[in-house]
Amino acid sequence: MKNVVIGQYIPGNSFFYHIDPRTKIIAVVILMVATFLLETIWQVLAGFGIALILIVAGRVPIRKIIKGLKPLYILLLFTLVFQVAFNRVGTIVLDSTMMISPYSILLMIVATVIWRLLASYKKFSLLLFISYLIGLYFIMKDLAFSPIWTSWQLTIYDQGLIMSGFVIIRLLIIITLSTVLTLTTKPTELTQGLESLLRPLKVIGLNSEDFALIISISLRYIPTILDEANKIMNAQASRGADFAEGRLKDKVVQVISLLVPMFIIAFKRSEELADAMESRDFVPGKPRTRIHDLKFNYRDLVTAVITVLCLTGSILVKVL
Amino acid sequence: MSYIDIQNLNFAYHPKRPILKNVSLLVDKGQWIAILGHNGSGKSTLAKTMVGLLDPDSGTIVIDGITLSGETVYEIRKKIGIVFQNPDNQFVGVTVRDDIAFGMENLGFPQAEMLKKIDFYAEKVGMKAYLDKEPAELSGGQKQRVAIAGILAMQMDVIIFDEATSMLDPTARKELMDYIRQLHNEGLTIIMITHDIEEALWADRLVIVKNGEIFRQGSREELLKEPDMFIEAGLELPVELQISNALKKRNLLSVEMEEHLWESSLKK
Amino acid sequence: MGIQFKEVSFQYPSWGKQMFEAIKNVSLTINDKDEFIALVGETGSGKSTLAQHMNALIFPTSGTVEIFGISVTAKRDKKIKYNTLRQRVGLVFQFPEYQLFEETVEKDIMFGPKNFKVPEEKAREMAKKALNMVGLSDKYLTRNPFNLSGGEKKRVSIAGILAMDPDILILDEPTSGLDPVGKNMLMRLFQEIQEKTGKTIVIITHDMDLVYEYTNRVLVLSNGILEYDGTPNHLFHRDDISKWHLDYPTTITVLKSIKDKFHYDIDIYQKNVDDAVNTIAKAVQL
Repeated sequence: MKNVVIGQYIPGNSFFYHIDPRTKIIAVVILMVATFLLETIWQVLAGFGIALILIVAGRVPIRKIIKGLKPLYILLLFTLVFQVAFNRVGTIVLDSTMMISPYSILLMIVATVIWRLLASYKKFSLLLFISYLIGLYFIMKDLAFSPIWTSWQLTIYDQGLIMSGFVIIRLLIIITLSTVLTLTTKPTELTQGLESLLRPLKVIGLNSEDFALIISISLRYIPTILDEANKIMNAQASRGADFAEGRLKDKVVQVISLLVPMFIIAFKRSEELADAMESRDFVPGKPRTRIHDLKFNYRDLVTAVITVLCLTGSILVKVL
Repeated sequence: MSYIDIQNLNFAYHPKRPILKNVSLLVDKGQWIAILGHNGSGKSTLAKTMVGLLDPDSGTIVIDGITLSGETVYEIRKKIGIVFQNPDNQFVGVTVRDDIAFGMENLGFPQAEMLKKIDFYAEKVGMKAYLDKEPAELSGGQKQRVAIAGILAMQMDVIIFDEATSMLDPTARKELMDYIRQLHNEGLTIIMITHDIEEALWADRLVIVKNGEIFRQGSREELLKEPDMFIEAGLELPVELQISNALKKRNLLSVEMEEHLWESSLKK
Repeated sequence: MGIQFKEVSFQYPSWGKQMFEAIKNVSLTINDKDEFIALVGETGSGKSTLAQHMNALIFPTSGTVEIFGISVTAKRDKKIKYNTLRQRVGLVFQFPEYQLFEETVEKDIMFGPKNFKVPEEKAREMAKKALNMVGLSDKYLTRNPFNLSGGEKKRVSIAGILAMDPDILILDEPTSGLDPVGKNMLMRLFQEIQEKTGKTIVIITHDMDLVYEYTNRVLVLSNGILEYDGTPNHLFHRDDISKWHLDYPTTITVLKSIKDKFHYDIDIYQKNVDDAVNTIAKAVQL
């Protein structure tokens, strides 16, 4: 729990930090639409290239974006495997016979052991994993000696690779866009931006001001609640609750011993907070002034222009 | 005329268990009164009725000439502020700045004025360096001071402190008490709700609450002449006065000793 | 046996904006019998962190904590069931709200023993015994813990740990939020437990009066460093404890002021009000 980073916002001073949050939100949405209009891998690569140029120009810390992608490695890998395995379109790129024999099994076990031993060097884990897979490939292709128990054909078509590349890069663009948004916009700014954009919804009865207040209060309490969860777990652990192990039946009680206090504390908090807010003259629905203002500047115009250009580009490319 | 005039207040959640019984109280402008009582005596309930967070079953509350009712409660809330016990559960803003602004934003103050006031009152409570900090980075005492700044910024004349020190460590408690004394010296009316007699002794007047009723009230000089009364009310005297009382019972208390112990107990 | 700290240090991993406590190079030994220890120091000095090392909730970043013969170091040993240590060293936290969760007081107190595989009937027995130990009658067994007063909740949370029958009992600010009557009642209860069973009790507190009156050993932490380990009397005879942000017990300060003003020849080191009164009485009668 201690490693959760809330909001991903990193303070900075570049171009992206000074764009009005409303512009950023709309731009990101439009650019995501534009990305989904693209059809070929070359278009998508071009899109990714544009995104990269913008990021470098905007001096957004690329490292953080890569970190944001980490949890998705598995998804991307799955996409790759899926496409490669099932896409049988186009020209054959690789056609090898993979054989399994007692000898090859032995070698694969050795390779696995070596991989796990070296896996403690976390720095090269991805590289290591890829080498491991390549190793397995060659073991099954060339190093199986008789008696051969079974064999299967590994066929990779070029379209399989191309399609997986397409899907992966498209995903990368989307994630990069949203990461840049959250990296360069404070959660409070995002909330205010959303509130402003959703104001027209008053006609259907949704008060965006109250909605924004709810969100900002929730954000404010996230660290507090995490801290409390930690304290509750400590208190219950001191009574023998073992959150790591235990059978399912035990686990249910452990979770309840954590959730019940959290809810009770949360309810008490809401009551007390409501009292405090009311005593400070808060009246839901009554218009309030703000200390923070959202103001447009030239950067918003630049952003708008670039966004429109990108969208137009996507549409044209689709139509032509 | 008293600034705050409470007459015959009755309040109960369940009819069989009344929390406030026929409470009457007068508070003058600029006074510091301490409402002192054991846990469960009804003191916090009294505080909440004064700002209209709870509706009394009967009785009247008049503040600065305005009788508290459903319509006037918004007016009243512009005059009295309340600092609660749990520093975390009254901090609304995402940052210190936002929290101080909250009350003013509710009242529709213009932006420029709010920004000026925030700087001024943050400085006043010693939190100017923390304006952009989030509550998770603050201690309990600091959060309480931010709450005070927010109330002062709304130009309130009366502040109720509802057990505001009970969740603080001794150092923070002393600091807050010093700050309250400073506020009082500047003319604010202070209503302090506490179960700690040592804190209560700082006030001009003490109102002892027991089981929902006003047991005794008066200046500290008057009340400390009846030490057994405090024990009856479920409160414990400060050590100096316990000693004084015990010596008196044995007829070993000289006038100088009594004075000396008295002064020591009030010196804090 | 007991708990031994050997040059233990701990650093919280700094994540974003949290204020972290640390302890630096702490070495001390706590016997599992007959000690009544007060752990004091200003807020942020590391007391809670130190206490949480004692039941292996926290693992030190360097050094070793030996708890009833089991070594706890920075590296987590997968063969050791650290959980069992928490039955022998019972830690009660400051706020009962973080602990109470069952529908009845009885069920809640039984949670501890049941987690350590105590059979249902025995757990029920232990719960009843623990409840009575903290001064609450059997009536409370069927009550809902959330309907209790603050002081009652506090006592139920202590009973929850007592029911596990730990060898060492650690309490984080057990008297905070209680009125003076409640405070003394609780301290006398601990004293009783100490005398009857000989178990070691450690309390974290800010109240020097309680420290002086009830405990026989004080550990002073300041900025994570163990600055003092000795008797309360010895501690309060020093004239420099304010550098650790500590106050003297009220009895001492009052007696000192009387001694200075009236020039009585009295021993200002009295542990409670009655002794203080007697001391002054004797001097006055001369």
